[in-house]
Amino acid sequence: MKIAMIGWEYPPFKVGGLGTHCYGLTKALADLDVKIDFFMPKFSSGKPEGSKNLNIKEVGITKVFPYDRPYEEALDDDFFESVYTYNRLCAEKINGCYELVHCHDWLTMQAGIAVKKKLGIPLVLTVHSTEYDRCGGIYPNEWFINIEKTGMENADRIIAVSNFTKRIIVEKYGIPEEKIRVVHNAVSPIGEGKKRKKIVLFLGRLTIQKGPEFFLRAAKRVLEKEDCLFVVAGSGDLLPRLVNLAVKLDIADKVMFTGPLTDEEVKHIYQISSVYVLPSVSEPFGITALEAVSAGTPTIISKTAGVSEVLKNSLVVDFWDVDEMANKIVALLRYKPLHKMLSENAKKEVAFFTWDRTAEKTLEVYNEVV
Amino acid sequence: MPAVCLYFEVHQPFRLNRFSVFSIGERINPAGTYFNHELNEKVFEKVARKCYLPTNQLLLDLIESFNGRLKVSFSITGTFMEYCDAHMPEVMESFRDLVKTGCVDLISETYYHSLASLFDDLTEFEEQVKLHRDTIMSRFGFTPTVFRNTEAIYDNRIAKKVEELGFKGIITEGTEKVLQWRSPNYLYKPVSSGNLKVLLRNYKLSDDVAFRFSSVEWSEFPLTADKFASWVAGSEGDVVNIFMDYETFGEHQWPETGIFEFLRHFPQEVVEKHGLEFVTVGEAVNRFNPVGEIDVPFAISWADTERDVSTWLGNDMQVACFNELKEIGRMVKEKDKPELLKLWRLLQTSDHLYYLSTKGLADGTVHKYFSPYEHPYEGFINYMNILQDLKQRVMSE
Repeated sequence: MKIAMIGWEYPPFKVGGLGTHCYGLTKALADLDVKIDFFMPKFSSGKPEGSKNLNIKEVGITKVFPYDRPYEEALDDDFFESVYTYNRLCAEKINGCYELVHCHDWLTMQAGIAVKKKLGIPLVLTVHSTEYDRCGGIYPNEWFINIEKTGMENADRIIAVSNFTKRIIVEKYGIPEEKIRVVHNAVSPIGEGKKRKKIVLFLGRLTIQKGPEFFLRAAKRVLEKEDCLFVVAGSGDLLPRLVNLAVKLDIADKVMFTGPLTDEEVKHIYQISSVYVLPSVSEPFGITALEAVSAGTPTIISKTAGVSEVLKNSLVVDFWDVDEMANKIVALLRYKPLHKMLSENAKKEVAFFTWDRTAEKTLEVYNEVV
Repeated sequence: MPAVCLYFEVHQPFRLNRFSVFSIGERINPAGTYFNHELNEKVFEKVARKCYLPTNQLLLDLIESFNGRLKVSFSITGTFMEYCDAHMPEVMESFRDLVKTGCVDLISETYYHSLASLFDDLTEFEEQVKLHRDTIMSRFGFTPTVFRNTEAIYDNRIAKKVEELGFKGIITEGTEKVLQWRSPNYLYKPVSSGNLKVLLRNYKLSDDVAFRFSSVEWSEFPLTADKFASWVAGSEGDVVNIFMDYETFGEHQWPETGIFEFLRHFPQEVVEKHGLEFVTVGEAVNRFNPVGEIDVPFAISWADTERDVSTWLGNDMQVACFNELKEIGRMVKEKDKPELLKLWRLLQTSDHLYYLSTKGLADGTVHKYFSPYEHPYEGFINYMNILQDLKQRVMSE
């Protein structure tokens, strides 16, 4: 089978779960003997490497990383322009003999539809997040929603990364359930490290969607009971507000903002942390929870995160319930048997979340349409 | 042909409230904050209406219509009786009516349905057994002669203690682990004991009703009273012990499954069609003699497929809580504070540890069915937080 896949980011150039997903998925699909031409924008430095069955093809040039939903003020011409240009170029440049085209999220949907029509091949669309997730419940933007809806309507099959996302696609976008398949994400294991100090970790883009504010409010409560360090890793437009909040809550000396981290640093911080918290307001999947777990770090996951459907050995909370979040953080810091059992059992559990399995399920979806 | 011994366990735990670390050490009324009275009352009322009241009535009618030839035995826990007092005295009244028929035997156990038999020191166990015995005496004017430990937990040490306490018989699981090739349908005696007799649950026949009754995948589905009675009648041995949770009737097996019709017709099949006799546990112990010895150095029970104590002490969280309980117990006993002793004992009810089991597969679903928690980890945090609060309270006395 030969397919065209349209992505936006690919390691080493990535800002979110989409890049990690495309990397894991394409490698594993290639192992299943699916030939993939992977299309992505050209970034200023270097080019990701392909492998057997996998060709990385760069299209056009972009300066922006618009995977995040930008704030209103950032929604300027540049941003729209680069998305449009990329989609137009993909639509023009993708030619040849493909059995299907597979695209990811709104960024690449228009190109996906155009290629489907031009080459007369089926379109498979993976939904990693929707506007309803990214907006964090405030002001969903019609412009994104319309692109997403058109993409979903035109897709022959939609892959949702969780049942949580599937429900949104059905309920908010009015897409018939029959066309949607749920394929959960996987993780490339990180391996355990030494835990010396009590560190509670948040790692993710600092946006409303990811709920970092709830993390800080829980930190305030935890510090009434336990002495520990809170690490907020990642960057995003909420950073200044979060720093102010930490000062206002009088916990600035116990909270560390790391800014963006390299892959190596990310691994390290997972390994040395005692607790990982994923307090997302709306999270289609939440691959970071699996990464933390694979590093032996127990996780506390928002109930509105798709990963909570599949990771049974974790603690779940409502993202807004900071007292309960704090209760669980303290319990993990205090009660060693709990920490040990969650760490061990979750590690065993994620061993089943392989990209090979995700690729096999994706291939099943391909086979339904070709 | 064997006699038939029916025995039902009647129990409700005091389920816990959500208790966060931030509540630890707050000086508020612990009895009110530890236990979720609202939920407990709701559950109790629901089960009373679905099971206790209708099943008691049915048994009473049957006993009357069979002129004393139908006999049953019950174990009623102390916490259950407290529920009756607090919420539905009519439930207690209906049990009393049954006992008055003379066809009902009552079984002794630890008042709090606890794991006190697994403490290294058996003093607390003994106290709880006596407390239960006194309560049964004052409520029913009845002195049990047969003992059944919490979920039939049994080992040589427990058997020895139970004999010391003056009981004639003890109930446990008829597991192959202990019996090997031997049949559960006879009485046995504990290794190196005097006169104590052991009644063994026939788990196959018991679970046919308790677990498999409404299972459409089961090749014997549907189970009729006729068919079941013929299996019982076809068994070899002195007595077939059919022991189960009383909640099987109307709660675990809903009325729609036909469980009440099954119960209604079973005695007739047993007595009239097959000419078998019902016996209470006390009668079984008096009438039959042991045919051999059982040697149980490691505790067994009737729980899960392992039939051991791993249901309550199978993981690190459970062991940690159990050790904490023991530790608190040592401190409580040094102080003369009846209200703290009572709290400690209510927290000993085995259900609290049962909810923390992380066993997967078939047993896990059973655990989930009975658990008020979404996950055992949640259960651990909650229970441990409460234990920490009690510990602080005891220490500050």
